[in-house]
Amino acid sequence: MSYGQKVNIIDIDYNWTLINYARATDGVYFFTLFKSVIISFITTFLCLLIATPVAFYISFSSVRIKSILLVSILLPLWTNLLIRTYSLIALLRTKGHVNNALENLWESANYFLNLFRLANHNLIGESFTPLSLMHNNFSVILGLVYIYVPFMIIPIYLVLEKIDRNILEASYDLGANHKVTFFKIIMPNISVGIISGIILVFIPCLGSFIIPELLGGADSQMIGNIIERQFKSANDWPFGSALSFILIYITIIILGVRYVYSKLYSRLNQKGVS
Amino acid sequence: MRNKYHISRRNFLAGTSATAIGLTLMPFSLGANDQDQLNFYNWDDYIGEDTLSDFASITGVKTNIDFFADNDELFSKLREGNPGYDIIVPSDIYVEKMTKAGMLDRIDQDKISNMGNIDVNFLNPIFDPNRDYSMPYMWGTIGIGYNKKQLRNTPDSWSHIYDSEIYSGNISLLSEATDVIACALKYLGYSANTKSTKEYKEAEELLIAQKKHIKVFAEDNGQDLLASGDVLMAQEYNGDIAQVMLEDDNISYIVPKEGSIIWEDCLCIPKDAPHKENAHKFIDFILRADIGAELADYIQYATPNKAAKDLMDDEYKSNPAIFPADETVKLCENMLYQGEEVSRMIQDTWTRILAS
Amino acid sequence: MSKRIRHYTPINYTKNNTLKIITFIFLVILYLPIINLIMFSFNDSKRNIVWRGFTSKYYEKLFENEMLFLAFSNSITIAITSTIISTFLGLTTAIALWKFNFYLKKYYDVALLFPIIIPEICMGISMLVFFSYINWPNFQLWPFTLSSIIIAHVSFIFPFVAIIIRARLSMLNNEILEAGLDLGANKYQVIRKIIIPFMSPALVASALLAFTLSLDDFVVTFFTSGPNSVTLPVKIYSMVRFGISPEINAISTLLILIIIICTYFAIRFLSKSNREIIK
Repeated sequence: MSYGQKVNIIDIDYNWTLINYARATDGVYFFTLFKSVIISFITTFLCLLIATPVAFYISFSSVRIKSILLVSILLPLWTNLLIRTYSLIALLRTKGHVNNALENLWESANYFLNLFRLANHNLIGESFTPLSLMHNNFSVILGLVYIYVPFMIIPIYLVLEKIDRNILEASYDLGANHKVTFFKIIMPNISVGIISGIILVFIPCLGSFIIPELLGGADSQMIGNIIERQFKSANDWPFGSALSFILIYITIIILGVRYVYSKLYSRLNQKGVS
Repeated sequence: MRNKYHISRRNFLAGTSATAIGLTLMPFSLGANDQDQLNFYNWDDYIGEDTLSDFASITGVKTNIDFFADNDELFSKLREGNPGYDIIVPSDIYVEKMTKAGMLDRIDQDKISNMGNIDVNFLNPIFDPNRDYSMPYMWGTIGIGYNKKQLRNTPDSWSHIYDSEIYSGNISLLSEATDVIACALKYLGYSANTKSTKEYKEAEELLIAQKKHIKVFAEDNGQDLLASGDVLMAQEYNGDIAQVMLEDDNISYIVPKEGSIIWEDCLCIPKDAPHKENAHKFIDFILRADIGAELADYIQYATPNKAAKDLMDDEYKSNPAIFPADETVKLCENMLYQGEEVSRMIQDTWTRILAS
Repeated sequence: MSKRIRHYTPINYTKNNTLKIITFIFLVILYLPIINLIMFSFNDSKRNIVWRGFTSKYYEKLFENEMLFLAFSNSITIAITSTIISTFLGLTTAIALWKFNFYLKKYYDVALLFPIIIPEICMGISMLVFFSYINWPNFQLWPFTLSSIIIAHVSFIFPFVAIIIRARLSMLNNEILEAGLDLGANKYQVIRKIIIPFMSPALVASALLAFTLSLDDFVVTFFTSGPNSVTLPVKIYSMVRFGISPEINAISTLLILIIIICTYFAIRFLSKSNREIIK
């Protein structure tokens, strides 16, 4: 469809035109795409940072606690995405619960300072200024991490489960410390899981539109929003498809780079061994 | 090596073919095309609580209701053919678009005995002359919802949200390109339905300059932002603001003096509707005075049904969020479909505004 | 599971306090919005903004609301059916990709990623075009009204399943399978006794993921549904215009409750059967 052209309101002429791709090279789209890639990259990185310790903890707990933890990580996913996002808004907005809690904290801190007759010194600021947690790029990333973290935990957990605990023990017995064991044994083994986790988080992030729309501010447009608009209000399916395909090509290029890299990496490793 | 495990490949094939067989068998269970049904595709919560059951008890037709969230969804969904709906509720500009795209069926006005109840102002709208394809359902305006207490003066002009930094960071605009740009055009003194590139350029510059003062382009939840205190002024549809006004006395609504956009939701019959006869019956039923009043009472939107409005109490008739003053209404415009080129220009303008 | 000698291992990450604290904080943050959601299902206001006092009227209203229940049961039906089908398809695909080297396999591998990469809305529209192109009939009879949705769901969910299962499969080494065969097991036995048990954590995880994806999907469902097939997400998204009512919070709370109860019994059941095996 991305090679078609609109002829009137609803008809599309499939004539292998490249006009839609040419249109997509406009700076606006490039800029938005670049921004989306950056946001998704940060999100994926944060997810990885959070997911790895959690997955470790789960994987080494007893069977009972493990199942409880696993279910509690999946449970939020069974609540509708929109509902969860709205709840997140309720927490984050200017007069939301987080700011209310902080304000209470500020007031009680001030109260104690008063007791010690220190209030006049304005040690913690003259008055409470609510943090602006909503409608900016920060909230978009926060929302994305919140929604996608489980998709990172699960694959990492699955590969961790697989590592034979005896090997770890052997490593200790042979005198390796925690650090060495982690980098030499655990890391190579879980890289498969991390990579599938990255795929499962990065790609949906790149195309997401609901979260930037609801949590984002006036300048949080992501490429997903533009694509969605082409299919809906702009009613321009060919251009929407073209943009989608550009997104697909980029993802494939990223995956390809990773593939080449892992090939090189394993070749280097082999050389090191021999 | 490869031979040893060919069983899993056989498994794979068996699985796929089983699915395929399952799929081919499905159409055989087609049937039961009940003539006493009506498939109604509506906005959520946009019909009286008892309206459908009353309709069933009078005509014996059972209504199945299904929901969409905005006009674009409705349009895209019906674009490739009608999946089986009998009555849809698009807004004005979409009525025109769908008519031009041949997606609607002509309404047989002889079968609509209650057409006389409609206010004369609504009998010949510019988007559907003579009401050939649509019957009015509800109407309203786009304006500014604001917090009476915290604002120094009434925002009676679009300048308060389009061209002012007094309330910087406390303003939300809609996120629909056509609406936001049309109101900007109104503020600049142009027609909302202009085709002039120069005028759109001016609107774009206005919005890009104002963007740093705007907190968010809200996806139809400006009323929530207003009620929670996140913003002090929100560009919104009147009905949304009216809903929060019921719960919060500090919130009010105004249509700016430059004029605004007027919208109208209509009942239409899509092409290839399976129960056309019932659809006509349903439209006729909705246009009854008592039913119209019931609907207006439940939805709290302005009704185009004059006979129904006469049955309503003064509180409804004098609510500024439902019925703006007559002289303001005269300045308002219906949005029209401008053709593909203009709508692409609007969308590109909007993308540039958001990315700047 | 039973052969793991966890209690004697010196590497027990559960003893690591940093890990414990991170996990704890993570869970708290994960659940804050959920708690908020549950709280506001008891709020005496039509919108989820200001607390206006306790009420249980939305639960009462919920039980009178046939529409919501219809949507709910539709969603569950779709989710269960498409989970079963897509887990099966995903499993077979993963095995095929792992085991066989067929022509164009590398490309099939990448093609499998497509449904994940393609933006949802593009996927939804393609499905819409596809179903109208092949003239998929509009069924009137209940479970069949959902057929197009289920097909669409399976087609975008099973790649997720396949990816998870493949990650696990890539760790299964061939020697074990060969040993099994050498020791006289036939191919069915190898699959049943070695591959399936080895796969079971990944199978469970991917089935859960499939269920989740299907239950929560709006865009694809919207474009493939016909009359008489409202699902919960479609209903919820259509509420945006008038604000999401606490009834939705109520039904989400109920759903969470049901899942907690089911899981509780599942865990009890599992640990019981585990104990029996050990005996």
